[in-house]
Amino acid sequence: MKTKRKLHGQMPVLIGTAFVLPALVLFSVFILYPLTTALSYSFFGWKGTLRGEFIGLENYVTVFTKAPFDEALPNAFSHNLLLFAGAMIFQNSIGLFLAVVLHKIGRMKRLFQTMFTLPYLVSPLVVGYLWSLMLSPLFGPVNATLKAIGLDDLAHPWLGDPNTAIWAIVFITAWQWIGFPMLLYGAALGGIPDEVTEAAEIDGADGVKKFRLITLPLLLPALGTVSILTFIGAMEAFPIPYAVGGSTGSPAGATDVMALLFYRTAFESGDVGSIGTSSALAMLLFLFIFGVAVALRTSLAKAEKKVYG
Amino acid sequence: MRKRISALGLIGVAALVLTGCAPAAQETTEETGAQSSATAEAVDPVTLTMWSWRTEDVEKYNTIFDVYEAANPGVTVEFEAFLNTEYNQLLATGLEGSDGPDLAMVRAYGGVQALIEAGQLLAIDGAVDTSDVEQSLLAAATGRSDGNLYGVPFATQTLQVFYNKGIFDELGVTEPSTWDEFVALNEAIAAGGYTPMALGAKDSWMLPIFHEIVGAARYGGPEFRDGLLAGTTDFTDPDYVASIQIVNDMTEYMVDDVIGVAYADSQIQFTAGTAAQFPGGSFELGNFTTQAPDMELGVYLVPTPPNSASDKPLAAGWADGSFAVNTKSENQDAALKLMNWLASPEFGQLFVDEVKQFSAIKGLTYSDPVMKEMNELFASGPTAYINLVDMRYGDPSGSTLIGEGIQSMFLGDLNADGVADKLQEGVATWFTPGA
Repeated sequence: MKTKRKLHGQMPVLIGTAFVLPALVLFSVFILYPLTTALSYSFFGWKGTLRGEFIGLENYVTVFTKAPFDEALPNAFSHNLLLFAGAMIFQNSIGLFLAVVLHKIGRMKRLFQTMFTLPYLVSPLVVGYLWSLMLSPLFGPVNATLKAIGLDDLAHPWLGDPNTAIWAIVFITAWQWIGFPMLLYGAALGGIPDEVTEAAEIDGADGVKKFRLITLPLLLPALGTVSILTFIGAMEAFPIPYAVGGSTGSPAGATDVMALLFYRTAFESGDVGSIGTSSALAMLLFLFIFGVAVALRTSLAKAEKKVYG
Repeated sequence: MRKRISALGLIGVAALVLTGCAPAAQETTEETGAQSSATAEAVDPVTLTMWSWRTEDVEKYNTIFDVYEAANPGVTVEFEAFLNTEYNQLLATGLEGSDGPDLAMVRAYGGVQALIEAGQLLAIDGAVDTSDVEQSLLAAATGRSDGNLYGVPFATQTLQVFYNKGIFDELGVTEPSTWDEFVALNEAIAAGGYTPMALGAKDSWMLPIFHEIVGAARYGGPEFRDGLLAGTTDFTDPDYVASIQIVNDMTEYMVDDVIGVAYADSQIQFTAGTAAQFPGGSFELGNFTTQAPDMELGVYLVPTPPNSASDKPLAAGWADGSFAVNTKSENQDAALKLMNWLASPEFGQLFVDEVKQFSAIKGLTYSDPVMKEMNELFASGPTAYINLVDMRYGDPSGSTLIGEGIQSMFLGDLNADGVADKLQEGVATWFTPGA
């Protein structure tokens, strides 16, 4: 009977710690430990798996100044940024549009939601291979269809032309992930109270005004979450670029991204010091993603405060 | 507030996933070598473990080692295979710790240097008789910095032109013996409604292979390689540039937009019978015979192009991997005895008959007619696939550079000179001739 009263009070520190401990241990073993070892590896010279002497920032200097990194790093990094911009412009805006339309129509909402979310359940590696077959200039149905309906001029080696290959990856990624922003926005739209929209209508707001002044600001938390997750996804992109352009980012590095560069350096390099350079690459990418994501989150929190008061 | 913390946590976790992939290694330092040589004395019975990435060949190797076990009572060879893509990491970690194998299959050339540099493999000079091994292939298991031999190469690959005999018969054409005949052959195939050559130019690793097949004789093969390694010539040599130009000229005999064709597509082109020829490696044989069991395969070497530096057609080849001994093995004497057998014609013949690949041992008989012919063609004009054999000891590797360069050439962004310049500049960042 006494214990019953205790539950109403504060949980003792010891028991609280015991509850957190399993998660803490898992986090330390699987995340904190690899992260700190990768950090330490990046400061050493390596001969295979044999750690050499402490060389300070030399691995970091290497990945910025020496071939192949001096060319590959900015090239790959720019493609990551392009993937992010492409996803924001196409995937998230179309996702928002679909969410608004489905929210308005209401009918068969579930069916369409399921359909748009379906590709999201397939492994991205499979999606990548599937689309590289679809876009093949020899057997691919995309070009075959274009030719069949008389649009021969539009038939194109999509994945072979460096100008279209990276956009093909933007498209394939959007095709797979479109359901994700749609679901998040859909849930957020459902959470906007009818009273607010009704009040705006009574005040004489038309459809566009209602969307701009009521719906959009109230979607801000969802917009923020989607943007940050899109950013992380674009910076870490690996399976789709790998399936479409291989580990070298074919053609001629046109689809190279940071994770592929890391993969090549760590697992395909003939350089005996590759553990050091690949660890440095991984740390740089982590710091960039972490830094930007935290900054985004902070500025969004400020913006939300403004809206919600 | 709680929401905010969880959002930050999510960001952290997602971002960390990548960093977590960094290669794992234990932090032992310089303690290898010294204690290992004193210990082992081959005692009966002994069990030798061997690690491999050939999961598909476990049964075949067991059959082979049964022969050895019968001749060497008391010795048991346990052959364990691991997933090919995970093997390098597994082996590096296994050799580092105390539960590694006695012997292991190791990668060739640049791929084995990290293990050698880390002191994980035993130098076998003098301890293993390698006189029956094709001498040019020993480079696959030689330490880059000390010149010692660390393994016995087991499998080799060679690059030639495969063709569909059915299509050749239908069009009434035959294997070419001069460059003019080669050009006429391709014209005739194109006129007959077939694609003369299947090439997966979207996959850049295939392009240096194609370059060796059509261009090795033009730049001169072994002689050029000697000069390159000695520093008397480099990749900007006019003969080498001309060999890259031939690659570009050949696009005439491929499908339009070949740059968009994936390697797997090019295999289908050939096995489905829309393309008459497939310039490729001996590793294609298995796929071709399973995918198109009714197709009659032929092979030939591309005749010497005009102004060739070589006076005969050349077949580029390389070793696929080697057998090596773990420095930490407690059964080193028994392991070295087995290594001597792995370098013998007896093992070579068993390997050829069971595993059905090309062996690194000289003078074997191949029962499969296509393999027999490929082996004879290779013996008639062997040369090294330079960008794999010699140019994979650093980053960027030669094969990556020329592969991407040829893609740029197909796209019209570089000419043959530009491809050669890029290759030379790239490898010069780590390759010093004569070193």
